[in-house]
Order: sequence, then structure tokens, then C-alpha cells
Amino acid sequence: MYELARGPLMWAATVIFLAGIVYRSIQLYLLTGKKERVLYTATPVKPKDRTPEERKMDFIIAFRHSLLGTHPIMAIISTVFHTFIFIIPIFLLGHNLLIYESWGISLFSLPDGLCDTLTAIFVLIGLFFLLRRLIVPQVRIISTAYDYLVLAITVAPFLTGFFAYHQWFDYKTVIIIHMLVGELMLITIPFTKIGHMVFFFFVRILIGSEHSFWRGSRTW
Amino acid sequence: MVIAEVKPLAEILELIKQYKRVLNTGCGGCTAVCLAGGQKEVDTLNTKLELSCREQKIPLEISGFTVERQCDMQFNAELDHLVASYDALLSMACGAGVQFLAERYPDKPVLPAVNTTFVGVNKDIGWYEERCQSCGDCVLGITGGICPVTMCAKSLFNGPCGGPQDGHCEVDTDTPCAWINIYERLKAQGRLDNILKVFPAREWQNQTQGKLLLEDYKHRYVKETK
Amino acid sequence: MPAGQRKPVDTKKIKALLDQHKGKIQVSLAACASCSLCAESCFLYMGNNRDPHYMPSYKWISSLGTIYRKRGNVDSTFLEKTQDRIWKNCVLCMRCYCPFGIDIPGLIALARGMYRSQGFYGMYPYTAGAPEACGSYTTDESSTQEPGTAGAGTGK
Repeated sequence: MYELARGPLMWAATVIFLAGIVYRSIQLYLLTGKKERVLYTATPVKPKDRTPEERKMDFIIAFRHSLLGTHPIMAIISTVFHTFIFIIPIFLLGHNLLIYESWGISLFSLPDGLCDTLTAIFVLIGLFFLLRRLIVPQVRIISTAYDYLVLAITVAPFLTGFFAYHQWFDYKTVIIIHMLVGELMLITIPFTKIGHMVFFFFVRILIGSEHSFWRGSRTW
Repeated sequence: MVIAEVKPLAEILELIKQYKRVLNTGCGGCTAVCLAGGQKEVDTLNTKLELSCREQKIPLEISGFTVERQCDMQFNAELDHLVASYDALLSMACGAGVQFLAERYPDKPVLPAVNTTFVGVNKDIGWYEERCQSCGDCVLGITGGICPVTMCAKSLFNGPCGGPQDGHCEVDTDTPCAWINIYERLKAQGRLDNILKVFPAREWQNQTQGKLLLEDYKHRYVKETK
Repeated sequence: MPAGQRKPVDTKKIKALLDQHKGKIQVSLAACASCSLCAESCFLYMGNNRDPHYMPSYKWISSLGTIYRKRGNVDSTFLEKTQDRIWKNCVLCMRCYCPFGIDIPGLIALARGMYRSQGFYGMYPYTAGAPEACGSYTTDESSTQEPGTAGAGTGK
């Protein structure tokens, strides 16, 4: 089981993950078309030069309307969560050792103790998201079993990894579960709500509003 | 929709600085859509006012509330329980909304925070153009869907004046001549006979306050007028 | 309109509309992380004591989203029950903010088209659930609006 999870399943998961991301990107591209542009034909108007005070005001207002201004706790916690989800698995010593054993190369690794703390924080944030989903009314009303499942899939590899590192429960079983749920997460990223890893970068090009990127250059 | 733009901050400050507690009321209708007076603009303006007042040492307490549409008393009524504790109301609706709000609270000063500019269209984000002057006697059916009242600087009804150059208006060279556009569109559609006859002089109904009572609803109001 | 008088739902029409916009709905549903951060950008949500029913994502997910998940197989009871979410609870001011950039107003407009095709459209003034909000406005001299008739139009 260990060999299966470490070898072929890991390969399958990685391939599905990468192919899924490519598939999603192509799908988004094909579903959309170039947006019709209305050309501004009149004499171009230059925006007025902003005074330093005005610029300061602009910054304050932009900040207050950003997520950091309206939901500071959620914005910080969410940023930490999403940073950790990349940092921990990529720079974990144990993972890098496996890569070294297989290919003879390895990435820079963070100290084990630090990774342990980061993982604990990550799992606690996962718990915070769970409680938020259960308690805050506006999150609860749109939460379905699916949302809880997605959260579970995201946190499970980290929780089991934490158990494995501390050798809690039966190590052999825990490490196999750890590998399986990790692979499950990779596979589900392109096809479930965790797909916002891909959509996050694309969807804003598609909206023609004040929040769009590149003037919303593509449209449905 | 009705297009508006936020007044310069100094002008708004001048209007409200004698009042201590001010309620800034946004409108979720047209002015929200044209980024002039929705909830976000209420927040933005309040932040700006707060900061400037702090700098200039003017005591001001300002809060915000956005209603669905200020041109509808049903929605303005949502403010009833709030208004009493304020010295003045600032409105981010169009001129119609400001007046209707002032009508609802005749004992409170109601001050405009936006300049209502025109009835227009959303060309692209933050780019609006006038299309209608609500003159009350639409001729678009004859003029190929191009309004001579709005699009012609002189609101001419019988062909272009002597001024257009290279298809552009002599008043504003950025604007294409409405009548040349009308001619070309009608020609392409084979409807040129539309503009062969001379239009009689116009009764400019919008010289008086515009009022519209839909035929189907007239029966409701007839008995009131006697 | 009493439920008995409703025409049966034309699921073929709904399915055609769903097919036409399949990509947009599917991707938007998949992209929504149910984070609820769009709530505060809706002035109706803020103005209604933060009632979660006014949250932009709830409005379209619980109407159009549900219809999509059921593949268009909905009955008139469902449409009647959910119509307020896209008509009464939204003015389509297009100012909602989604961290992932989901075109929420576009989806609500899509939902409106779908409901309209089945005869469920916004009936104004909205009397249901807000009995005091309508017909209570009177001017000093004369009432131009009779209380009680303000709801006319709902029965037509």
C-alpha cells in the first residue's frame, strides 16, 4: 500500500492535477470571447494630476474598501492560510528527502520545528474556518455539505502529516492515509471548489466592472 | 439611466459645515450604477469628509445609509427612524431624489452631494454619454434612432445647420453631426423620405416641470383632481 | 396569483437557457468558495440589519444555482418561493464585490430572465412580507394613493 501510494498513485495525482489545471484554463479560454471595445474617439482627456494630499486620501479610501480594510481578520488569516498551503508541503524536509531519494535533487528546506508550528497554525485556521462556517449566519446560509467536504479535503493532509510527524497513532497507517488524502487533494483541486486556485486568476478578466482586471478584456 | 457625478469635496464641505450631525443617504438606483451615489460612494465621501473635517478642526459626525431608490417614497420611508437625530441630510441621489427626500422631511435641510448631469448610457466602465433630454415628444421613429434634440447642439429639427465640418459639429468638434448621422442611417435603411417633409416648430414641453401619468393608472387619481 | 392558476413550468425552456449559459454558471458555481465576503458590498444587506438573505452570493446560488444543480427540473412552487431573492432583494445596481470576480449581477440578471420566461417577474410594489412599507405614504393635503390599493398589480 505504501509503495502504491508513494509511486504510481502519486504520479497519477500529479498528472491529473497538472492536466486538470491546463484543462480548466483552456475551458475558460474557449468559453469566453474577446470583449467588444468601444473606442473613445473624442479628444483624449487627461486625468488631473493628484496632489500629495489627494493621493494620500485615495490610498486611505482604497485601503478601507479593500478586504484588508473591511475584513482585516479574515483577510490576514486567509492570506496566511493560502501562503502556508504552498510553503509547508513544498519546503518540508521530509518531502524534500523523498524527492532527493528519487531524483537526487532537492529544494531548500525549512527547519522541522518551524514547519511543525506552521502546520499547527494551518490546522487551527482550518478549525477557525469550520467554526466561522458554522456560526456566522451569512456564511452558514450558503454553506452546504460540499463546502465542509472541501474544507476537510484541504485540511486533512496537513492534519495527518502533523500526526505522522509526531508519530501519534500507528505511524504506518497514518503515513499512508496522509499520502492518500494528499493525492486526493491534488486530484480534486481542478474539479471542485478548490479550483479557485485557477479561477482566482481568470475570473476577474471576465467581469466588466470596477473590480475587473485589464478592463475585463474577455467576456462570456 | 440618470447620470450624476460627485460634487467637489470643498463644495460639499461648504454645504454641510454648519451642521454637526449629518446623515449621508445613498441611492441604490441610477446613481449607484453610474458610480456616483451608491453605498460605496457614501462610504468614500464620508471618509473624505471625516478626514478633511479632522484636519480643519470642524466638528462633524457623519454616518451613511443607502436606500433602494430615493425617487420612491416607499424607500425613503426607511429613513424615518434615523432622520430625527440628525441636523441635516446629504443626498447622493439625482436631483429628483434630493427633492423627494426634502419633501419627506420638510423640517430638515436636505443637501445634494452630486451634480445630476443627464439621462445617458453606460458606454464602458466610468464612461457615460447623454442620449435623451426627456423632451416629451419623441421623434426617434422618424430620425433613424438618433435624437436631434440631444445629439444636435442646436436641437434642430430640419437637417443640419451650415456649420458641420467633416461630419463634425461646429460647436464641439469631438461630436459627430447628428443630422449627418441621421441622413446616413436613413439612407442605408432606405427611409430617406422620412426627413423630406418639414417638421413644424416644436412646443417645448420641457419648459415646464415634467409630469407623466400612465393612461392605465389615471383612474386612480381622477377623483382627487375634481 | 394563487398557486392553482399557475401554468406548469416549461422545463424545456429552462434547460435551453441553462445550456446556453452552462459554462458561465458552472464555472461561477465552482469558483465560489462560499466565503461570504460579498455581503458587505450589498447596500440592501447592510440596510436590512445584515440579513443573510440579502447576501449577493445567496441570491443567485439559491435561485439560479439550485436550478442548475437540479438540471432545470424545478416546479412552480420552487420558483414562487425563490423569486423574491432575485427580484425584490436585488436592484441590480451591479456594485457587488466578489474576491474571485464572479459576475454576480450578470448571474442574477440571467436568473431573472429564466424566471421571467416562466411568468415569474418582479411585481411592484412589493407587498409580500412588508405590509407597512407600501401605501403608508401620504402627503399633508390629500392622499394620492389609497392604502390597500398599493398592492394592485400583484393580482394581474
